Amino acid sequence: MGFNLSKLALYFSLLVCITTSGVSGLVKRDAPYEQVNDHPTFSHQKTDKDEPDKYFHESTFSEHYDGRFAEAPLIYEDRRSHLTALLHTYISAMQDMGAETWLMHGTLLGWYWNRAILPWDSDLDVMITERSLHHLATFHNMSIHHFSLPSPPTEPRLKRDYLLEINPHYKNSSVESVNKIDARWIDIETGLFIDITTLRRNATAHSLGEVDEMMVKDKHHYVYDDIFPLRVSSFEGAAVNVPFAYAEILVEEYGETALSEVHFENHRFDVERGEWRALRYAELVRFQRQGALLGGSFWGRKLDSESLFPD
Amino acid sequence: MPPQQEMEGQDDSEGRERSLSEWRTKLQTSLPKRPDWPGAPRDLPHVSPGQPYTSHDAYQPPRTLRHGDYTKQSAPLIDQVSNRWRGTEKASTVYVSEPEDHELRFCDLEDEGSCPNTIRDLVRSRRLRRMLAVFLVAAVMLYYGWKWYLQPRLQEEWSFKQGFLPARSNGTYGIARAGDFEGTAIQWLDSSLIPGGEADREGKRRLVFVGDIHGCKKELLHLLEKVGFDVKTDHLIATGDTVSKGPDNVGVLDELIRLKADSVRGNHEDRLLEAAKTILGTNLSPQSVAATSQGYAKDATLLKQLKPKHVRYLRDMPLMLRIPALPHASTARHQHKDRVAEDVIVVHAGVVPHVPLEKQDPYFVMNMRSIDDRTHLPSALRETKRGKSRPWMEIWNWYNDRLFRGRSLKGFHLYTTAEYEDEQASESQGWLGSLWDGLFGKGKAKMTPQIVVYGHDSKAGLQMHRWSKGLDSGCVAGGKLTALVLDASGKTEVVQVGCKNYKA
Repeated sequence: MGFNLSKLALYFSLLVCITTSGVSGLVKRDAPYEQVNDHPTFSHQKTDKDEPDKYFHESTFSEHYDGRFAEAPLIYEDRRSHLTALLHTYISAMQDMGAETWLMHGTLLGWYWNRAILPWDSDLDVMITERSLHHLATFHNMSIHHFSLPSPPTEPRLKRDYLLEINPHYKNSSVESVNKIDARWIDIETGLFIDITTLRRNATAHSLGEVDEMMVKDKHHYVYDDIFPLRVSSFEGAAVNVPFAYAEILVEEYGETALSEVHFENHRFDVERGEWRALRYAELVRFQRQGALLGGSFWGRKLDSESLFPD
Repeated sequence: MPPQQEMEGQDDSEGRERSLSEWRTKLQTSLPKRPDWPGAPRDLPHVSPGQPYTSHDAYQPPRTLRHGDYTKQSAPLIDQVSNRWRGTEKASTVYVSEPEDHELRFCDLEDEGSCPNTIRDLVRSRRLRRMLAVFLVAAVMLYYGWKWYLQPRLQEEWSFKQGFLPARSNGTYGIARAGDFEGTAIQWLDSSLIPGGEADREGKRRLVFVGDIHGCKKELLHLLEKVGFDVKTDHLIATGDTVSKGPDNVGVLDELIRLKADSVRGNHEDRLLEAAKTILGTNLSPQSVAATSQGYAKDATLLKQLKPKHVRYLRDMPLMLRIPALPHASTARHQHKDRVAEDVIVVHAGVVPHVPLEKQDPYFVMNMRSIDDRTHLPSALRETKRGKSRPWMEIWNWYNDRLFRGRSLKGFHLYTTAEYEDEQASESQGWLGSLWDGLFGKGKAKMTPQIVVYGHDSKAGLQMHRWSKGLDSGCVAGGKLTALVLDASGKTEVVQVGCKNYKA
C-alpha cells in the first residue's frame, strides 16, 4: 500500500513538473531532438525519376551520395578523410570475408600517380570476381560492419558503420543500363559509397571461341590476362590489388594524357611532394595570364605563388 | 620679260651703269597699283636703314601688338604679286602636241620611250631573256627542292623533337610514380665479367647476348656451340622471356643457372612470378582453364614443375642490366657502325629516351613496342589507338645520334631538381659567362649516348641499328635464335641458328 502510494506520488510530481516546465521553462534540459538530429528524418533519395527496375538510387543533391544517409554533400576538406576511411574499411572487410577485389578506373589512376585518391574524386571504383560476389550475396548481404578508426591521441576513436548492400540483379550477367552496379559499400554517417562491379566471363565471346574475354555490366571489356594475376601494391597506406596490365587499362580508358599531364580539374601535380594540389583562384588566374601551365621544361618546379601564399 | 629686256637694252645701248636711285624709281613705277583691300596702306612705307619707323600717316599700326600682327618690316605678300606669268610659255606645250592625246602619254605606241615599246624591246633582247630563264629555273628548283627534300626533313626532325619539348603539352611521361618492381630494378654487370676490364687485362673475355629463348633448349645449345662458347672466358646475357611457350622451359633455366648466365626480367617471367604468389606454396589444386585462361593454365603447370632454385633465379633477374663502356674500345667517329664502345643497357622490351632510368615504368620496360609522339608514353601495341605513335627505337636512335654529335638538349624536359638548377644557373650566366666556361671552365658532365640491347618484338625480327640492337628473331615460332657477340675491342658479331616451330 505504502509502495503504491509513493509511486503514485512520484508520477504525480512528474506530471506536475512536465506541465509546469512547458509553461514557465524552468526545467533545464538538453536541446530538443529535432534540432540536433544528425541523421535526416526523411530520405533524400531520388527515386521518383529513376526507372522502376533500378535498385540502387542516388541522392537528390549529388550523384555520389546515398540519400538515405545524408542531407548534404561534404565539403572538399572533409571528403578526403571520409573517402580514405571508406577505402580502408572496405579492404579490411573484403579480406576478412575472403573476397578478391582490386582497384579500377579513377581509383587506379590515383594509384598510378601517387598511391593516393585523386582529390577531385567523390567516389571510389573497385571490382570483384564473380565467385566473390556470389559468396558475399549468399552470406553477407545487408550486413553492417562496425569499425573503430584511429584518431589523434587526445580524441576518442572514430566509430563508423558501413553497410554492404548487394543488388539482387547481380545474377543477371548481361549488359544493363540501370543495374550495372552489383554492390555498394556505404558509409552510413555521410552517405558516401564505393561502387562495386563484377568481372564476368563474356558468354557471347566464349561461344564464339574467344575464351579469355571478360566483360562487366557497365559495358567495359577486358581480357583475362590483362587483369590476372593481380599485383599487390600499396594505396593510401593499405595493401591493395591492382590489375596486371594496369598501364594498358588506364591508357585505353583515359588516353595517354591521363598518365602524363600535370594539370587537371584545377589541380596541379606537385612533383617534389608527389601529390595533387588544388590551385587557388589567384594561382589559376596568374597561370592563365602568364601561360605557365604550358611550357617550362621542368614540371616539378615550385609553383610561383608559393612565396605569396605560404602554407 | 620686260626687266630683262630692259637690262639687255641698257647694256647694249648705253653701256654705262645706272645709279641705284635710278633703278629704284624704275622698279617702283613698274610695281602694281595700290591695292584696295580694307586696311591696306596708302603707300608703301618708306624705310631707310638706321631710321626708326615714325611715319604715322602711311600706316597706322595698332596700339598693342598681338601675335600675328604686322610689324614694321613686313608688308603683305600680295603687294609683290605681278602678272608677269601671263607672258611666259607653258613648259608642257613643248611635249604635248594636242590636248586629246593626254591619256596615251606613257602608252603611246608611236612613241619610242613609252611603256609598251620599252617592254617589247626588253623582251626581245637576249640579255633579259637569259636572265628570265635563269630566274625561272632557279625558282622551280627552289620550290621543288623545298617541297621534296627540305620540308619533309624539317617536318620529320620536328616530329621527333616535339615529344621532348614542353611547349605543346602540360606534362610528360616519367612524372607520375608508375608501377612497382619487386626486385632489383637496375643492376650493373659484375666488373670481373667485363671484356678488357681489370680482371681481363689481355682482353680475351666476350659477352654473348641472346634474344628471347622461350624454352628452346636444343637451339640454345646449338647456338652456344656455333659461337664457340667457353664458360671460362665468355658470359651469357639473355634479354628475358627465357621460359614459356617452348618445349623445355625447366631445361633452359637449368642451363642458364649452370652457365651462371645473367638475364633481365621479361613480361613472361613477370607473369610467372606474380602467379607464383598464389599458386606456389599452397596445396590447392590449380584452377581449371574455364575458371582462368589458357595462358594462366600453362603458367600454373609450369610453376608446379619449377624448383625453388628456379624461382629464386627468376626473382634475381633485374629489370635493367647495365654494362659500362668497354675500356679497350675506341670511340673514334670514323669507326664502323657495328662497334659497341659506349654504355650498354639490356632490357626486355625497351626504354623511353631522355627519361631517367629510375623513372621508367617497369610494366612498359617489359612490354613496350611503340611510343606516343607527343607525350612519349609507351605502349605494348605497335600502333596506339590515337594513331600518333612510332616504334620506340626510332626515337631512341634519333636522340642518341643527337647526343653523339654533341648537339644541345636545350629546352628538353627536365626530371630532377638538380638538372633544373643547372639550367637556371647557365641561363643567368649569359653568353659571355658560358663562353668563359667553355674555354676555361671544368666542363660539366655531358650526357653520353647509350646502346640498348633488347628482345620482345619477334614480329620485327632482328633489328640492328647504331644505338639499338633488337635480338628477338622469333625462335619459338620457327624463326631463328640470335646471339650478339661482343669482344674486348668493341667489335660485334651476329650469329644465328634456325629453330623448329613449337607454337601449336
